[in-house]
Amino acid sequence: MKNILIYTIAILLISTSVFAGGPWPQSKGVGYFKLSECWTNFDQHFTDEGSIDPNNTTGIYNTAFYGEYGLTNRFTLIANANIFSRNVVNNQVSGTNGSVIVAGDAYNGLGDIDLSIKYGLTGVGSKYPIAITATFGLPTGATNKGDFGNLATGDGEFNQILQIDAGTGFKLGKHNAYASAYGGFNNRTNGFSNELRFGAEIGVGLLNSKLWLATKFNVVESRKNGETAETITNTSIFANNTEFASFSIEVNYYFSKRVGMSANFAGAFRGEIIAAAPSYSVGVFYDMSK
Amino acid sequence: MKNINYFLIFTLFATLLTSCVGDDIVEDRVDEELRITNAIDTIGMNSTYQFETLYLDNVGVRQEANIEWSSSDNTLVSINNNGLAEGLGNGSVTLTAEYQGLDTYLLQSIEVVVGESTTEVENEESIKEGVIITTSSYVLEGSFELQELDGNLIIQIADNYKASTALPGLFVYLSNNANSIGGAHEIAAVSTFNGAHTYTIPNVGIDDYKFLLYFCKPFNIKVGDGSY
Repeated sequence: MKNILIYTIAILLISTSVFAGGPWPQSKGVGYFKLSECWTNFDQHFTDEGSIDPNNTTGIYNTAFYGEYGLTNRFTLIANANIFSRNVVNNQVSGTNGSVIVAGDAYNGLGDIDLSIKYGLTGVGSKYPIAITATFGLPTGATNKGDFGNLATGDGEFNQILQIDAGTGFKLGKHNAYASAYGGFNNRTNGFSNELRFGAEIGVGLLNSKLWLATKFNVVESRKNGETAETITNTSIFANNTEFASFSIEVNYYFSKRVGMSANFAGAFRGEIIAAAPSYSVGVFYDMSK
Repeated sequence: MKNINYFLIFTLFATLLTSCVGDDIVEDRVDEELRITNAIDTIGMNSTYQFETLYLDNVGVRQEANIEWSSSDNTLVSINNNGLAEGLGNGSVTLTAEYQGLDTYLLQSIEVVVGESTTEVENEESIKEGVIITTSSYVLEGSFELQELDGNLIIQIADNYKASTALPGLFVYLSNNANSIGGAHEIAAVSTFNGAHTYTIPNVGIDDYKFLLYFCKPFNIKVGDGSY
């Protein structure tokens, strides 16, 4: 379950907003780079029935690098890497005599890395750009760490995502704005169920486009074609079939022409086998397109 | 740029503060208990029998304790403070085990007859039964029976048993505390999620524990329990 939780939370925090991601490839030689700290701390989760149950308090803290670079005007190379990940589980302490019932634990290490290539199906300047993206999720993070094997910095599987994005820019009053939507399929290995993904995003630029506000809606639907605890006997923490529907709010502010800060809040309002708590991200970015 | 530096330092500091291993408090208080774990109906004339007790503290964990034994008639059955009894004359007596703690006084008594030979208690208590009930949102249900056989505790889960396969690391325990696996006996990882199956547990008595607990071990999620 932890593997999947980390994996899913990473999805929630991926920056695809404003000037990165979506159907807009970077121009040749132009890039967008972001360094961020993403975290969540949860003591309850969505069960397989979609209800909310308590669990041992668990924290996941990722220092992430996100970068896009235009190889051509149509091809953009994308990297999303958790360069440092920390996974923490609390002690279970008796409320009666203060003794430790089950000791907590923590693990630090490299997280998973996603590498993507995006191709713009429409030309530069299209009013309704469409792009396809192939993502390869490299299992560079650790799994089954800690005394109980319940700590991880990655999902332990090599996945491949094929995604299509479409969007448009428009005026909202006197402000610049944009909207985009995507759909995709995630082919997962190591017994994990495949997934359908879709979502939408809308953003608006304020203060002469120095301040951008965006909100996103993301859905992951499991195909539920993978292994379960009943069919896996060689590991004790394997769980599968995570699903969620989430929303997020993101603020980006340009301090200078190209440099700015971002803050993101995300939370799932429906889920199965996933943390029932918000996740947060703050970071700094460098936007060469300006 | 200066603002960004402040921002990063603040973020790093806040993250470090919240990323330490903390404590989750488990409400695990239970009543202290004293049990006589090897009761007998009859003690043989001129033979001895060693009684054993089990003291459980206020979180249901077995602890060493000073137990005082007494007999209602020492001319029929004598017993010392180690629980060693001897049949001396025909008749029946009440044997009592007492524990005096700082705030607690516990007492357990049994009726014993002096006869030709020592016989263990033979009643419905030699087989116990219970019902597994989910205490979470995960499916877990079924009935079970326990029986001591050849020094083993046999737990037979009935064919109406069903457990969710969604949770990783589901383990089954014997415990004296329905809310904690502290001091519990780990039986096994659950590998059967539907239908009848049996657990054989060596060196555990039928009176040593009183709950069957199901926990998701890696994430300390209590899934369900069954008392017996």
